[in-house]
Amino acid sequence: MNTIIIEGLSFSLPLFIIAIGGIYSEGSGITNLALEGLLGFGAFFGGLSYAVLSRSFTGDPTTLIYASLGFAMIGGALLALLHALMCIKFKANQVISGVVINMLSVALTAFLANQINASFFGQPSNKFLLEVFPKTTIPLLSNIPILGAVFTDFYTFELIIVIVALFMAYLLYKTPTGMHIRACGDNPHALAAAGGNVQKVRFWSVIASGALSGLGGMCFAYSISTTFSPNIYMGFGYLAIAAYIFGSWKIGPTFLACILFGFARSGGYVLVQKLKLPSSYGDLVLTLPYIVTLVLLLFFSSANKPPRALGEVYDQAKR
Amino acid sequence: MLKRTSLLKRLFILCCGKGRHQLLRTSLFCIFLSLLAGTILLLLLDKNPLEAYTSILQGAGILPKGRYAGRKSQLTDFMSLLNYTTPMVFAALSVAVALKCGIFNICVSGIMVFSGFMATVFVGYSNLDPILAKVLVVLIGALSGALVGILIGYLKHRFNMNEVVVAIMLNYIISYVVSFFIQTRFIDPITRQSVAVGQNARLTLFDHPVGNLKMEIALVFPLALLAVFAIKFMLDRTRFGFELKAVGSNSKASKYAGIHVGKAVVFTMLISGSLAGLAGVSYYLGSNASIQPRVLPSLGFDAIAVALLGNTTTIGSFFASLLVMVFDCGTTYMSSRMQVLREIAALIISILLLFSAIGIFFRNLADRYQQEAEAV
Repeated sequence: MNTIIIEGLSFSLPLFIIAIGGIYSEGSGITNLALEGLLGFGAFFGGLSYAVLSRSFTGDPTTLIYASLGFAMIGGALLALLHALMCIKFKANQVISGVVINMLSVALTAFLANQINASFFGQPSNKFLLEVFPKTTIPLLSNIPILGAVFTDFYTFELIIVIVALFMAYLLYKTPTGMHIRACGDNPHALAAAGGNVQKVRFWSVIASGALSGLGGMCFAYSISTTFSPNIYMGFGYLAIAAYIFGSWKIGPTFLACILFGFARSGGYVLVQKLKLPSSYGDLVLTLPYIVTLVLLLFFSSANKPPRALGEVYDQAKR
Repeated sequence: MLKRTSLLKRLFILCCGKGRHQLLRTSLFCIFLSLLAGTILLLLLDKNPLEAYTSILQGAGILPKGRYAGRKSQLTDFMSLLNYTTPMVFAALSVAVALKCGIFNICVSGIMVFSGFMATVFVGYSNLDPILAKVLVVLIGALSGALVGILIGYLKHRFNMNEVVVAIMLNYIISYVVSFFIQTRFIDPITRQSVAVGQNARLTLFDHPVGNLKMEIALVFPLALLAVFAIKFMLDRTRFGFELKAVGSNSKASKYAGIHVGKAVVFTMLISGSLAGLAGVSYYLGSNASIQPRVLPSLGFDAIAVALLGNTTTIGSFFASLLVMVFDCGTTYMSSRMQVLREIAALIISILLLFSAIGIFFRNLADRYQQEAEAV
């Protein structure tokens, strides 16, 4: 039981923060299929910064680990800048822009990782090795039966994610800025009439989604393989998209969806181990979140309300 | 009339401005821009870009190489290019047809895995007569692709589900389930892929002697050409093709005009799915012979952008696939000759697609410049 909760949370929370990124972008009216590419590029940037800094930095390595999370956010934001430019300035089809950004991210990281490893570090490899992320246990809370597992042996990045997520939720639902973002997604003309700048709000929302995806991607890189390698592109970005669509573009329900995905995954793995099935049955377990989403969407797709102006290019002249 | 505008602007208007073949000219302009970006990249790496581009063309069999290995020639290189292009043509057509109806088919990769797996299981390991086996492979591929396509179309029409989401879910479900079956039943312990299919079922003849050469012959390439013209005929000359495009440009208006929107959507996805299925069999039982578990072919995603580069027209998609595959095939030769990383091809291709995604911006900008110029 404890393993299910511990493993499940360490998967759900990075997924959740990426999904929040998606909610920010789509909530402001820009379709974001690029989450997969953004999280990969963020992880690449974080991994690169770690590889570069660890050569000259002599202090406590945990500082570097936390710094690399910050660099990952910058990396994600950089690629998101491209998506924002394509969608807002160049008025490209947002779905297509997202797909192209994903392809670009895969190609760019593969090329750069190989090239940098070969020409600066002198080794033919497409990976950046990372440290194991520090884990902690909160003393008293972890003694609570069952729920205590939440506070046992967790990666400290989970704490960071929770704090960032709470802040982003507060920003989106309780502040004027958040109101502007949501207005941008539902009725950009109303925002323009109220004196807001639609393009600017959308631009920063997309950048925010890139930064959050980068953070999530870096956490995946730490928790799953402790390397940056092209294996980071395993479809977690698409899973995050499924999560927020499932959660009807709201942060609360999306959290539940992410928890469901994470626990279905870790629970399935534990089940496979307990029943002593061969490890290939893990593949069937991995389909669970997708099947659950598909079936639930079948029943609830009429209740599913995407932002009304989602995917539309903002045109001042159109009413 | 255009006297006062600068030379650069005039050139730009010439490239992307209004007039005949505006779409084609914009695409060519995008190709030019991405080649320029590639040139800068190669210069940064301290390589000669002209030599690099020439060796890409040589590797793809468009230009003759300096010397050839025994029983190889420019023709064999070109035939191998056609072999790798075949699945891309099918996949790009599949995306293009769906886009004409306003559906974004992102499931091509998943469908490819599904149809490839079905054909492998049912025909690939049998001892059927080669001709019968090949025909069966094509039929099973088209049929299984069509089934998935119909499922997506039906879910979209009946339950109003977003096709992109359905397609993404299906991609992963198919990928993992197929991977499960491969790993439990059909795994080759050495290659960690599915057991290679028999020669009788393969749609490509490898090392086939023609004269004194040994070449790869893609048997379904003529079928791909046929599909290009058949789809073009359907879109331009038939009632269904018209309905399909009408639904794509405005589904409400077509509904009031008496078109069965649901029927059009489901049929379009049937066609799109079966094309993707053909892409799958020509990939997994043609240019490759086995399926790698847990991997969605990137070709299915590249096809989206390729169709876009071809302005979602049939003929355009064909030439765009050819162009992208020239890069893909020629790079192996270039990277071995010039010590450039192989990944640079994927990078140049994605830059190309990036530019073609903002083609509409170029066209609008050119229109604006033209208006400004005429107003002066």
